[in-house]
Amino acid sequence: MTENIYQPINGEIVEIIDESPTIKSFVVKPEESFEFATGQFVELTLPGQGEAPFTPSSSPSETEQMEITIMKAGRVTALLHQCTKGQPVGIRGPYGRGYPVDDFAGKDVYIVGGGVGLAPIRSLFLTLVERIKDFKSVVCRFGARTPAEFIYKNSLFGPWQDIDGVDIQLTVDQANGDWDGNVGVITTILKADDVDVKNAVAVVCGPPIMMKYATLKLLEFKFRPADIYLSMEKNMSCGFGKCGHCMLGKYYVCKDGPVFTYEQIKDYPKTWA
Amino acid sequence: MEALFISKLRPLLDAVAAQMELYVPRRVGKHYVYGRYDSRSDSPVQPNDIRACTTVKEFLFPAREQVAAYPKPTEPQAVKPFAVFGLKECDLRSLVILDKVFADGDFKDPLYLARREKMFIISSDCADVGESCFCGLFKGQGFTTSGFDINVSVIKDGFIVEAGAQKGRNFIERNMKIFGDVPDTLLAERDQARAQIKNQLERKTGELGLGESIRDIVEDSLESDVYDIEAQSCVECQACTRVCPTCHCFYLYDTKQQDYYAKMKIWDSCMRFSYAMVAGGENPNRILGDRLKHRLMHKFVHFLDRYGIEMCVGCGRCIDADAGGIDIRDVLKRLSEESKGTSEAKVAK
Repeated sequence: MTENIYQPINGEIVEIIDESPTIKSFVVKPEESFEFATGQFVELTLPGQGEAPFTPSSSPSETEQMEITIMKAGRVTALLHQCTKGQPVGIRGPYGRGYPVDDFAGKDVYIVGGGVGLAPIRSLFLTLVERIKDFKSVVCRFGARTPAEFIYKNSLFGPWQDIDGVDIQLTVDQANGDWDGNVGVITTILKADDVDVKNAVAVVCGPPIMMKYATLKLLEFKFRPADIYLSMEKNMSCGFGKCGHCMLGKYYVCKDGPVFTYEQIKDYPKTWA
Repeated sequence: MEALFISKLRPLLDAVAAQMELYVPRRVGKHYVYGRYDSRSDSPVQPNDIRACTTVKEFLFPAREQVAAYPKPTEPQAVKPFAVFGLKECDLRSLVILDKVFADGDFKDPLYLARREKMFIISSDCADVGESCFCGLFKGQGFTTSGFDINVSVIKDGFIVEAGAQKGRNFIERNMKIFGDVPDTLLAERDQARAQIKNQLERKTGELGLGESIRDIVEDSLESDVYDIEAQSCVECQACTRVCPTCHCFYLYDTKQQDYYAKMKIWDSCMRFSYAMVAGGENPNRILGDRLKHRLMHKFVHFLDRYGIEMCVGCGRCIDADAGGIDIRDVLKRLSEESKGTSEAKVAK
């Protein structure tokens, strides 16, 4: 019999990390080793309740368990947030096309992320850092609404900043307490000379509005649309280009994406919707 | 295999039903609806002159089914061989389309495949052209020479039966005694009947006046108001997508059974409000006209580009079923007129 494409692999939540008031990271251990490429996504099933698509935030080099960062945004994610350690889950995937990391070799990698959009970016970042010498530089510009809403605080505010070849700047829309960094939307910390645009690729992931304005800024810097990589959010259900929900123009985001170049999708009227 | 003659349908259907479950279309009001064949009550059987109002997809891709189980995968139920009688050229074309999605390529649907392999297809020539039929737009001619196991053509004093695929040839060889030879005069009679239907379809297509490329008409319509205007009468019943033999969107949901958890697959419709909505509440297709546009773009542009065939067979079921009275032919016509600059459709939204 043909393999059942709908059957998840069984797994278990082995650790839960509070990231922000609305975001938690779940360390999931599948019963069998699970390989994916950074930027690909999985369908995580809460048995009997539903499933939802997430891009793992851990490095693909970790195949025994994976980390999935989840914002409470809908029915399934709200139920996931109520889960405790030991919760059985199902995992289908990996699906779609991730970041073409090999194509980034020798270039400045300019990563722009916001909010829970840092989840796929963390996976990419860890992947890049594992072979940091292959890239000219890794320049990160991350934003959150408030300092408390930054996820991965322990890495972001500390160890990641000290990695050779990595340059990180952060901004918040609204400061409070002892925040001494930049205050303003993400575009306020994007500068034309952050990277050598002619020999750089940009990666953008975040809320649609942020992705839109960050992309427009990058175009202003003369980034070629083919060098801007966007992680698109749609309501992927099946994960393999059949169920129809995630269509973006001629593409199935689940199969042809979720990572697209701006060149691929710029002409569709609802790219940011 | 050469054509054979049979004077009545019943021996043929009984021979099929002796081997497998057989489904036949029965007249209900103006339409034909599929049901299980019963030799006692279904005699005499008349072939449906046009396609049934129910679709062949229901036999392969049920409206709801369990696709996975937790914690232990369940063995899928063994599919028994079954036969469907009276499928028309447009039905067979819809199978080509569904096969592209579920049976070909890198992710094959095991449940669809299992049923598809066990299905015995008995097609028949169209004996009429339905009011809503517009298959001529996709080169439909009312009969087909491939894609079936057995094809049945109605002639004055009986039926001409032809085998297509190997399964059909095997069946005929096993049941040779119920068939007779076909004189050339009867073949000529069949060909004449076919030509007549083909002409009617061509004439109907010509009357639509849609020009050459439906794809171009639809692709160029992104900014058109026609969708909003046409969708004004839509009551969101979603019937157009349910009765469509090619619409295949589905949704996966999880549920609890007695002693295990199940993952279910259920038909979905792009005409449903929250079809494209994401968890945060963003919805690119809130407006009905945008949903209608999406439906046509998928059918005539995106699916064609991806799979090399339009996701429409021109069967007209959506026209018959639509509670809001939206006629896909009128939508295409208005778009065509608009693209030619002859439309008065440009009105204020």
